[in-house]
Amino acid sequence: MDDIYDLRSIFLGEDSPVRDLVISSLEGTPLEESAGSIAFAAGTFAVVNIVFLMLFFSQFAILWIERKAVARMNDRRGATTALRSLWVGENGVTAGEWWNMLPFGAGVPVGAVNRWLNKKFGNRDENFATVDRVNNRSWMGYSIFPGFFQNVADGMKFLLKEHMVPRRADKLIFEVSPFLIVSSTLLILGIIPLSSGIYATNPDLSILYAIAIFGIAPIGVFFAGWSSNNKYTLIGGIRSAAQLTAYEIPLLLTLLSVAVLSGTFNIIESIHFQHSAGAWNLFLMPLGAALFLVTMIAEVERVPFDMPEAEAELVEGWWTEYGGMRFGMLFMAEYIRTYAACFLFTHFFLAGWHLPFQGTISQIPLLGDAYVLIPGAIVVLLKSWLVFLVVFVWARFSLARIRTDQILEFGWRMLLPLSVLQVVLSTLYRLFLFDPSGMKDTAAGGNAWMIPGLEIPMLLPLLTTLLWLGVFFLLLNDEDKDAAPDRMYHVYTLQPAGTHTPGKD
Amino acid sequence: MAQMWITMGPQHPMTHGLWTLRVKVDGETVVDTEAELGYIHRGVEKICESRDFTQVTPYCDRLCYVSAMTWANSYIYAAEDLLEADVPERAEYIRLISAELQRLASHLMWLGAFGPDIGNLTLMTWCMRDREMFLDLLQELGGSRMHYNYPRIGGVKRDMPIGFADRVIAKTKLFEKRLDEYEMMLDESTIWLVRLQGVGYANAEEMVNAGVSGPNVRAAGVNYDVRWAHPYSVYDEIDWEPSVEKPTSVKGADCYDRYRVRMEEMRQSCSMILDALNKIPGGMNTNYASGDEMIYTKAPTRAPEGATGFSNYECTRGASQFYIQGGGDGRGKNPYRLSIRSPMFITIPFVAKTMIGYKIADIPAIMGSFDPCIGETDR
Repeated sequence: MDDIYDLRSIFLGEDSPVRDLVISSLEGTPLEESAGSIAFAAGTFAVVNIVFLMLFFSQFAILWIERKAVARMNDRRGATTALRSLWVGENGVTAGEWWNMLPFGAGVPVGAVNRWLNKKFGNRDENFATVDRVNNRSWMGYSIFPGFFQNVADGMKFLLKEHMVPRRADKLIFEVSPFLIVSSTLLILGIIPLSSGIYATNPDLSILYAIAIFGIAPIGVFFAGWSSNNKYTLIGGIRSAAQLTAYEIPLLLTLLSVAVLSGTFNIIESIHFQHSAGAWNLFLMPLGAALFLVTMIAEVERVPFDMPEAEAELVEGWWTEYGGMRFGMLFMAEYIRTYAACFLFTHFFLAGWHLPFQGTISQIPLLGDAYVLIPGAIVVLLKSWLVFLVVFVWARFSLARIRTDQILEFGWRMLLPLSVLQVVLSTLYRLFLFDPSGMKDTAAGGNAWMIPGLEIPMLLPLLTTLLWLGVFFLLLNDEDKDAAPDRMYHVYTLQPAGTHTPGKD
Repeated sequence: MAQMWITMGPQHPMTHGLWTLRVKVDGETVVDTEAELGYIHRGVEKICESRDFTQVTPYCDRLCYVSAMTWANSYIYAAEDLLEADVPERAEYIRLISAELQRLASHLMWLGAFGPDIGNLTLMTWCMRDREMFLDLLQELGGSRMHYNYPRIGGVKRDMPIGFADRVIAKTKLFEKRLDEYEMMLDESTIWLVRLQGVGYANAEEMVNAGVSGPNVRAAGVNYDVRWAHPYSVYDEIDWEPSVEKPTSVKGADCYDRYRVRMEEMRQSCSMILDALNKIPGGMNTNYASGDEMIYTKAPTRAPEGATGFSNYECTRGASQFYIQGGGDGRGKNPYRLSIRSPMFITIPFVAKTMIGYKIADIPAIMGSFDPCIGETDR
């Protein structure tokens, strides 16, 4: 079902007011003949800008969720920077009374307002022992989105740093590779729809495009690692190239199974298909969803697959030598890639802008009508933030980093066979379970996966997936455990913790 | 493949201090290592020769900044041996409790640093949170968070404050539950196990020959704990057993064994503290004034010429030993010579050699599992 909030038709539709305005204002000028093209160009420019602004600003939520909200849940109250520290300052010291440095006394009103605010809402944190102890600049111990402005402060700091190229580095490649990484990362956002009417561009083969553009950054990483003239960056870059093959192939196969199931290589059509056919891909191919998440965590180089930047042994890995805003840009690019991965999961497996239980709730009078009025862009953003929080952040905060040889073993021995299994299963579902006559593009969606005699449409896919997973793990674990007492590369232990008391046996 | 030397340190996340590990790698595999120590040599032993016996204690606090109490105690026992001082039993109990609290704080610092070595940053925040509880308790005794200057020759500076025992019991019991939480996060995580198991084998015989001691050697199945083998203080009066891990491989202890033995040691310390509080003479909820004969006996300030004092003490990282020669012409107030045996000074070069054959990613895991502390190493 199309989202009712259609940004593109406002700017680009046949009877859009923007188009009419442009055409009518060009009447009687030499540009009158090409007025249609100019209107299209202007509309596209506006749409692309709006979409990218929405994506960038919602990106702050991602940074905030991981680096502030969840981190503070671990650490209870950490130090924060609030907007209020402009007038209260840190520990009662404002930033050097910067307004006095403005020319011609232009800062006098700022100073007056600042003094008044300071007097009115001054730093009363000393009344709150715990708050005072960790140097919290929230208001009376409370703050909305604590630490939100810290990201802005960090960005400003990066901007003011000097740019240095290491001696004897390969200067050209060193300068080019951040641009390669950042620009290819931004290009991913171009094809990500926020709803059926809010997207920058929509090529027919957008799934293939997404994967192709995702695969460019590792080359930039390798370039950066090689050109920095540093042994840590070199090892980081080579690790990145080595693990590339281990996860890229399973990722491609997983997306192939999504494409097979939906019958299209286009992201928006795939979302439409999930709704019209009546089941999200998450329930039809849970194995594929898990594979996608695991390989995507490896693709965006986050814990537990962040060996290229393993900070314990490689200092900061391939980006050790980057400083200033180049570091900031690379850091941001990493988060944008993560964010894009969340969006792709939302679109491929959680049916994009369609609401949960839309089929049932939209049938209820009044409430159902109100339910489908929720803007699709909001639903997509909430879903992808949730995916980020529940999968990416949780994995990062509870898992350790695995070794390069272990991810290679994991990729080749487990991910690759499982993704092949998923392709076969999806093909079978599409061939034998799918019933095209059940497709319906209404608010309630269709029912194309229903098998006569079975009440729950997703039951058969779930059962077959579980069955084959069981067979796979049976075959995987069919090995002689006592043959390798050194337990190198093996996960079991002969005396697991808790089964014996050390010192007593 | 071409081999290259990588210099890790003096500033490197793996070092946990200030030293250099030079690694020769063949691709990702370590083929040779070389440890360079001595970046923060402060000449503590020489400084102590110009201080009197009381003034030496703060310097010993600063030998290891995460386990100040045990190092200060270690010196105090040597000085008491030299000056032939008597110590009230209550003071011994308080020293035991404070040392075990310090052991908890130190092992938490180890675990908190070990987590990021493997890639788990949450462990750092959790361990710092729990370490804070014990630092608060130690602060109540010594008055500061890190360098307490708490034990005195012949007793302790002051008695436990009123309510201290209740807080110790509450926090220790809470911490025992937190330990289960840690194990839920770590021992049940496959990634944690594959990173630690089968990595960094250290043979018991080789370790004993090299002089490695403490939890590192107990992880390999050697039942040697100074507190148990040569009981000082009142360790023979309370119920406890050294925690010894039985390694699963003939090659010796791996990183996982060393991790386990420290976790068990934290449990052991908790129960020791609780037991000591129950058995403390004078009761746990009484407070004697400073200098009271229950907690302090005046000791002579001058050592006779030719006298020597020695202590063998189980520090958080192994056996620390002090040797003091007292007396001398007209300078009986100062140690003539003070010699410190640091467990980590012996361990770090040994660990550097155990890394050979493993991957670069295993270097922080192996180094972290031995719990290095450079303050005491360089002295």
